[in-house]
Amino acid sequence: MATAKDADRVRPALTLSKEELEVEVPEPRLNWMNQWREWGVRVKPGKKGLTLGSLNVGLYGEIPMNWPDRSRNPRGAIGVTGTPPVAIQIKDKVDLWAPCAADLYEEAIQRRWAPATDVDWTAIHPLPDDVERAICQVCTEICQYAIIDVELITSWQHQMAYGYHEVKQFLATTSLDATRRHEAFRKRALVNGGGLGYEGPCQVSRLLLESRGGWTETVTGLTLVRGLFTQVMIRYLTRFAYNGVERKIYECVTQDLARLLTYGIEHIKYALAHAPDKQGSVITTLAIGFRMFNRDLRDPVLREALAIIFGGGIAGARSEGMHVFYEMLDEYVEELLGACQYLRLPVAMEQLPTVFQKDKRQLPGE
Amino acid sequence: MDQQLQNGSEFELDLGWMEKQGEWGTHAEPSKNGLTLADIQVGSYGDAPVESRNLSGRPRGAISRPGSMPIGNYTVRTKSEIWLENASFLYEEALQRQWSSATDIPWDTIEPLPDDIEQAQCQMATFLTEVEFVAGDVPSRWVSQMSPDFYEARNVLMAQVMDEARHMDVFRKRALANGGGLMRATGATSGFVGGIDLARDFTEMSSRLHLSGEGAVLTIFRMGELMAYNDAEKAIYRLCAQDEARHVAFGVMHMRYMAANAPERREEIESYLDEAESGMLTDAANPAGQLNQTSESLSIMLGGGGKYFDEGFRKLVSIRKRQLQEYQKRVTSAGFGDRFKNGRSRLGQMLENVAN
Ligand SMILES: [Fe+2]
Ligand SMILES: [Fe+2]
Repeated sequence: MATAKDADRVRPALTLSKEELEVEVPEPRLNWMNQWREWGVRVKPGKKGLTLGSLNVGLYGEIPMNWPDRSRNPRGAIGVTGTPPVAIQIKDKVDLWAPCAADLYEEAIQRRWAPATDVDWTAIHPLPDDVERAICQVCTEICQYAIIDVELITSWQHQMAYGYHEVKQFLATTSLDATRRHEAFRKRALVNGGGLGYEGPCQVSRLLLESRGGWTETVTGLTLVRGLFTQVMIRYLTRFAYNGVERKIYECVTQDLARLLTYGIEHIKYALAHAPDKQGSVITTLAIGFRMFNRDLRDPVLREALAIIFGGGIAGARSEGMHVFYEMLDEYVEELLGACQYLRLPVAMEQLPTVFQKDKRQLPGE
Repeated sequence: MDQQLQNGSEFELDLGWMEKQGEWGTHAEPSKNGLTLADIQVGSYGDAPVESRNLSGRPRGAISRPGSMPIGNYTVRTKSEIWLENASFLYEEALQRQWSSATDIPWDTIEPLPDDIEQAQCQMATFLTEVEFVAGDVPSRWVSQMSPDFYEARNVLMAQVMDEARHMDVFRKRALANGGGLMRATGATSGFVGGIDLARDFTEMSSRLHLSGEGAVLTIFRMGELMAYNDAEKAIYRLCAQDEARHVAFGVMHMRYMAANAPERREEIESYLDEAESGMLTDAANPAGQLNQTSESLSIMLGGGGKYFDEGFRKLVSIRKRQLQEYQKRVTSAGFGDRFKNGRSRLGQMLENVAN
C-alpha cells in the first residue's frame, strides 16, 4: 500500500487488458484545479472523533442567516450557477436552525441501537390478559405516533436549504429513530401472546401533518405537544414496566426522544431570539395543539390502557391506575410550562383546557 | 371482563376497546439474529395488502377507527409500486451495520499528500458530498408519501436516508481533514428532466437512483483501495460501499418484484432503463463519467498523481467498463436481462466507447 510519501510512485495494481493499455488518453484540461474559496484546512479529530461540528472552521463555519441558493452546492464550495433549482422552501436560518444540531447528530450515531439485538426478547413472560391487552394498545398508539413522526419529518427534510446541512443531517437521525420506535413497539406487541390494538384518535396527528406552512410551528406541535407528552408517558411506563424487554425499549426510546426534544426546544428558542414576531404563531400553534390534544384525550382508550398498566389490571385501573394517569398528565403540564418559561412564551395553566388543569379537573371521589 | 366491569370503583371505565383488537395470541419468536422484522411476520401481521386503504397512519394489523380522518398523504398505495421481498433483511442489516464517520474512520492515519493528489481527493469529496444530498433527500420525500402498510420497504428507505447523511458528512470531513478544502460543485444533481429529483413515479425514481446512479457509485467505492492513500480513505470507501450495496439491492429487488407482479408495467420500466443507460457515461452524476472535473480527479487519484495521469485514465476506463458490466448483471437479476439479447440495450455499443 502506498503511503503519503511515495504516493506518486506506488499504486495498487489493477490488471488492465491489452486493449485498455492501448487506450488513447485525452489531454487533461485540469480547469478545476486550484479552485476553492478556502484552502489549507486541517481539522483534527478530538475526544469524540472527527465530528460534524468541528468542521465549522474559517469560511466553512460561516452559516449565513439566509441561503438563497436552491442548488445542492455544499456550504463553502464554489457553487455552480445556472442550473434549474431544486424544490427548496426553507431558506432562512431562523426557520430551522438550532445551534446544537451538529452535536445531536453525532450523539444520535453514537447511541444507535437495534431493537432486534439490543433488547433481550427472552426477558418476558406471559402477563394477565387485561395487562397484556393494555400494553398492546399503548404499543399500537406509540407505533402510530412514530409512523406520523416519520411522515412528518421526511416531508420537510428535502425542503430545507443545503447551507444548513447540520439540521438536515440531524433530521435524518430523527426519522430513523422514529422508524426504530415503530419497529420496537410493534415487536413488543407481537411477542407476548398479544397483538396490535385499536388505532388512536387523530387530532394531534392532524395538527402535525397539516401545519405545512412553517417548520417552526410544526416543531412546536411535534415537540411541545406530541413529543413531550410521549416522553413523559414513557417515563411512567418505565416506572410500571413489567419486564426487561419493556424497560430496555423505554430506556432507548427515551434517549432518542430526548434529542428530538432538545432540537425542537432549541430551535424554537433560536427562532424567537432572531425573529421575535414568530412568538405569536408559536403561541397560536400551541393553543390549537392543546385543543386537539384535549379532543384526543376525550377518547377513553389510551387513558384506560395506561391506567390498567399503572394499576396492575382493570381493578387497579379504576382507582390507583387512573390517579397515576392524571399525575402523569400533571407532570407533562408542569414540564410543558417549564419549557414555555425557558422559551419566554407567555403560556399559563389557566389558558389550557380544563383537563390539563389539576385544580379544575373533576375526578370521581374528589 | 363483564364481572370486573360491575365492580364498584371510583372511575368508570369504558373498556369497549378491549374487544377491538387485531389478531390475538401472537407469539413472535426471536431467531439467531435477535427478533427481526422477518420474525414478526406472524399470522395476519405478515400480510401486506395488494392495495392499501390505510389513510390514517395506523400500524398494519391494527383495527381501524371508523371516525379517523384521512390524514396520510399517501400517493404510493399499491404494493407492487414499492414492495421487495427482502426488505426485512435489508433493514435489519442496515441497523446492524450503522457506523460513525466521527469514530470509525482512523482519521489520524491521514498524512499530507502531494498537492495534485490532495486537490483530486478534495474535488472528488466535494462532488460526492453534493450527490449524497440527493440520495438522502429524494427517498426521504418518497417515504412521506408511502402507506405505512408497506413499512418494511419504508424502513429500508429510512435507513438509506441515514446512510446518505453519513456519506455526505464523511466526504465533507475528508475534504477538510488534510490541508485542503471544498472545491467546485458540479450541479450534477440539479433538477434536469430525467433526473432523480423529478421522477413522478417511485419505480422510475428507484431505477435512476438505486440502479444506475448508486450502482455506478458502488462500483467506484468498491475500487476504493485503488484511490485510497491511507487507512482512513480505505475505511471510508469500504464502509460506504457496504451501505451502497444495500441501496442498490433495494432497487434490484424492487424491480424484480415489480417485473413479476405488475407485468403490465414492463414496457414502461424498459423505457426507464433505456433512459438510464443513455445517461450512464454522459451523466455528471457518475463520477467516472465524462465530466472532466470528476473524471480527471479520479484519474489523478487512480494513477498516483498528475504525472501518471495516463495510467490513471486507463484505470478509469477499466472502471467504466466494470460499471456497465455490473449494471448489466443487476438488470438481469431484476428480470430484465432480455434487453441485452434482443438488441434493445445499447450497452454493447457503450462498452466499445468507454474511452471517449
Ligand atoms: Fe451514498
Ligand atoms: Fe446510497
